[in-house]
Amino acid sequence: MSKVAQKKPVPAKMTPPRSGNSPAKRALRRIEPYIWIAPSVILMAVFILIPILSVFQMSLSDVSKAGKIKGFNGLGNFIKVVKGSAFGLVLQNTLVWTIAVVVLSTVLGFVLALILNNKFRGRKVARAIVVFPWATTLVIQASVWNFIINTDYGTLNTLLMKLGIIKQAVNWTPTPEAYFAWEIACGIFVTIPFVTFCVLSGLQSIDTTYYEAATVDGANYWQKLFKITLPLVKSSLTVSTVLNIIYVFNSFPIIWTMTKGDPANHTDTLVTYLYKLAFYNGRQGEAAAVSVIGFLILLVCASVYMIYTLRKGDDN
Amino acid sequence: MNDNAAKKPFSIQKTVLRILLYFVVIDVCIITLYPYFAMFCTALKSRAEIFSPHGTILPVTALWSNFIDIWSRAPMANYLLNSILIAGGSTIIAMLCGIPAAYALARMRFKGQTAFLGFVIVSQMFAPVVLLIGIYQVMLRLGLTDSLLGLIFINAAFNQAFTIWLLRGTFMGISAEMEQAATIDGCNRLQSMTRVLLPVAAPGIVTTLIFIFINAWNEYTVALCLISTDTNKPLTVGINIFNGYNMIEWQYLFAASIFAIIPVVILFMCIEKNLVSGLASGGVKG
Repeated sequence: MSKVAQKKPVPAKMTPPRSGNSPAKRALRRIEPYIWIAPSVILMAVFILIPILSVFQMSLSDVSKAGKIKGFNGLGNFIKVVKGSAFGLVLQNTLVWTIAVVVLSTVLGFVLALILNNKFRGRKVARAIVVFPWATTLVIQASVWNFIINTDYGTLNTLLMKLGIIKQAVNWTPTPEAYFAWEIACGIFVTIPFVTFCVLSGLQSIDTTYYEAATVDGANYWQKLFKITLPLVKSSLTVSTVLNIIYVFNSFPIIWTMTKGDPANHTDTLVTYLYKLAFYNGRQGEAAAVSVIGFLILLVCASVYMIYTLRKGDDN
Repeated sequence: MNDNAAKKPFSIQKTVLRILLYFVVIDVCIITLYPYFAMFCTALKSRAEIFSPHGTILPVTALWSNFIDIWSRAPMANYLLNSILIAGGSTIIAMLCGIPAAYALARMRFKGQTAFLGFVIVSQMFAPVVLLIGIYQVMLRLGLTDSLLGLIFINAAFNQAFTIWLLRGTFMGISAEMEQAATIDGCNRLQSMTRVLLPVAAPGIVTTLIFIFINAWNEYTVALCLISTDTNKPLTVGINIFNGYNMIEWQYLFAASIFAIIPVVILFMCIEKNLVSGLASGGVKG
């Protein structure tokens, strides 16, 4: 990522061909770029933009169970959602889930990247293994975790009993909060590889002469870490953190597979809550309102990030 | 002699650090692989053995027949075929739309360029799950609910951002001089792109298409919501047939899961190195 920091040569833009200066050809040349981007624009317009507009419209409308818009409802859906008894809990869960998973996986992923950046025998194998959780679909990952932590027949209990660490089967999920903590652990587990590989790509582009110079000057390991490594991989970390905030905030399969948000919304986040509202309870207007609320929260985070990076850009 | 004395403490410290390094790396690998190990062992056990109060780690007798039984107990062949069609179809459409767009962004200047790139980035903020209600409405109108084609379009659309992001970075890293020369030799834009640029950009393109393929293969939420006919389900959704409310057939669930995991893990290991550098360089200053 620090490739970013070094100024890349700006690729020369293609100059238009010299022949053909007739007005028709010039007009064609002017619209040419739009022809090139047209398929992509149409694809995203139909399958992303229209759903976005549709969700916003529904959030402001009175919607029937079948999804038919019956009329304008102002902020009615939002008021209903916010006043709903579970909403506070769901919002709190969403924040805990997002912050815990992103922060812990970033710290652990960063440390793992530092470790894997050393030269040692079997490094290639280790890196190939670490990538596993990233490649595995979340539903399966969550199913296995659900199996491992089961009280009656889970392999975690079996393993610990065989090793003599525990004598009796432990109930790993005595409370909904405990279950939620396991979901967070699973989330961290699957998010670490992405952070690790982003940081690794940053680490590998750091010029080793910096470290050599620092060693000559008598810098110790921690000084080198905080004065050289961290500043130079900061951009990689920012990219991975921002993407992770978005992905984790919107992550559905882990919680859905492990608890479906039960019992009584104790493990629900905004996305599982809105799924149930829309497809179990037929309250699509309210579900759309939850979508919009989630989007606004993310938008605030993204704007803060944009302002932060833009200001940093001015400093340079 | 002097030399040795000076070297010795240094090398002891180094050895300790080495051992510590290996210790941590091996632990990380064991923890990472443990779920897969548990999955594989369970896939080979009988139902009785899994639920027995005297738990086992390795299966007492390996029941390889579980891997065969799943094909008759569920429409696994359908699931597998659907996953291949969805992932393959999404990849083709995402590339057909994404390559020209990335090319235009990398090689041309036009009004609305920033706006387009801005929308591409903002579209990342909407996960399909947040837009499911809207997506469902669009699919109803197009008659694409419960169809593979619908899923293909959705996956292709939601992967456009990544496709354009990765390919634009790749194209911008390649000098335009060769294409300019080709243009002077009488090639038009399309020819100069397909004959000159794309072969040079092949590694980046392969990385991108494998990445889309994996994303579409692993997609769960939209398929769960849109597909109702059992034989239209992809693996990620279909295998939950073994994960019923009353009875969970763990051995079948995990045997089927292994079929869903292996192709992706192999593909991922092929592109892991390129993918990350691509992600990083494509993201430069939007």
